[in-house]
Parts: sequence; C-alpha cells; structure tokens
Amino acid sequence: MTEEFERGLRGALRPVDPPSGFADRVLERLDRQSVVPVEPRVWRPRVRALQRHWYSGVALAASVVLAVVAVNQLQDERSEREGLEARRQLIEALRVTSEKLDLAYEAVNRPPSTDDAGV
Amino acid sequence: MADELLVKARAGDRAAFAGLVRVHQRLVYSVALRMLAQREAAEDLAQEVFLQLHRSLETIESPSHLIFWLQKVTANRSIDRLRREGSFEAAPLEEAIGLAATSEGDPLFERELRRQLLELNPAARAVMVLRYQEDLDPSDIALALDMSINTVKSHLKRSLAMLRQNLGAPLDGCPEEIAG
Repeated sequence: MTEEFERGLRGALRPVDPPSGFADRVLERLDRQSVVPVEPRVWRPRVRALQRHWYSGVALAASVVLAVVAVNQLQDERSEREGLEARRQLIEALRVTSEKLDLAYEAVNRPPSTDDAGV
Repeated sequence: MADELLVKARAGDRAAFAGLVRVHQRLVYSVALRMLAQREAAEDLAQEVFLQLHRSLETIESPSHLIFWLQKVTANRSIDRLRREGSFEAAPLEEAIGLAATSEGDPLFERELRRQLLELNPAARAVMVLRYQEDLDPSDIALALDMSINTVKSHLKRSLAMLRQNLGAPLDGCPEEIAG
C-alpha cells in the first residue's frame, strides 16, 4: 500500500517541460544583463567625477591665492602702523631733548644776579 | 557530452551554455513549478537560476555536481520566494500543475495529490519535491536544504501522513528509508 502511494506521488510529480523558447529567453535575459549597464555605469560617473575634480581644483587654487593676498595685506598694514608709531616716538623724544637743551642754554647764558655779585 | 558542454560553457562558449540550459531546463522548471504552482512565477525563477549558474560556472566541478547544484539552488530560491511573497495566486489547477493528460496513473488521484502538496509549508514541500520528483535520498536532501537528516525524515513522515489522511489512504506503513 505504501509503495503504491509513493508510486502515485512520483506520478503526480512527474517532471514537465517549460514553455517552448525557454532557453532563448534565458539567453536574452543574460544579454540584457551584460549589455545594458555598460554605458551609463562606467562612463557618466567618470565624466561627472572629472568635472567635479576640475571645479574643485579651481576653487582650491582661488582659495589659496586669496589667502596669500589677505595675509600680505595684513602684514603691510601692521608694518605701516609700527613705522608710524616709531616715528611718533622719535619725534616725541626729539621734542623732549630740545626742551632740555633750551633750559640748559638759558641757564648758561643768563646774566649774574645782584645776589650773586655780593657774595 | 555533458562534461564537454560544461567545459566549453566555463570557457565562455555561449552555445555550450545554451546547451546546458536545454539539457537541464526540465529539471529546474519542474521543481520551480511544483514549489510555486504558478507558471509565470516558475519560469521567472527558473531563468534566475540559470543566470546565477552563468555567474557560478567556475565553481561547478562536474556534470553530477551541476545537477545537484541546480536542484539545491532551485529549491532554496523557491522556499525564499514563498516565504517572502507568500503563496502565488492559484491558477486553474491543470493549467498550473499540468500533466493530467499525460499521466499514466489515476489522473484524479494525482491531481488531488498535487493540490494537497500545496498545503504543505515551503520547506516540507521542497523536501517532498526533491524526494519524489528528483528522487534524492534523505541525506542528499539534507545537504541541499541545509537541514539535519532527522529534520528531513520528520518532514517526510509528517507530510506523507497528512497526504494519506487527507486522501483517505490507510495511515499505517512508512517507507523504510525514513522509518525510525
């Protein structure tokens, strides 16, 4: 009885052929998979990558030039400020020295007073 | 012949690969059809199996290895698809399952057997298809479906009992290879 039942199972599960043209459809699908992705997936991203790198390079170079110019400008301004400050200090020193020389000159050339003559 | 086709297909010969498809399409399509019970879904899955084979040709060692590889991949892909998408909308039974007209046994009994097989869960259905359609031993089924041999025997025992009960066949008796 068991064998008969298993024979029935094997009969019910007898292999069947696929619809005609099955192998051709597999090959068509294989061709589609191997051909379609080539153009967009390989070239377009590379072109975009090159464009992106080109723009990035220009932007980087411009940034470096601007930074160098800005640093030079700041250094020039600082040097000018320091020069003006040194000049102002020199003029002040000369003015003080001149006043002291005037006082000394007056003291040397002043005529002797009467108090001095009586001594 | 099969060995020559395999060697040439591995070397990139398109005609040889087409030959391999023609030789094995019946096996792959039948397993997919018994599992999914829907003609379009079965053809789609069978095509995917051959596309995967094309990518994996380097790993196929011999014609017998190729047959086992196809049985294994088809069964596992079918189980995955059934678990992912659930059972497919049932087509008219004889259109989907076919063969009643060419059957040598009782067509009504065999049709009812096929209908009852669709009531099994995907793993149990795969075990039954590999055992009674592909004639694999329980040990080979265990290898193909990554199960223990006891799990395979348990599936076979329970599925046969269920089928017998639903078909009104006597419940006693069990094939020797799955007894114990």
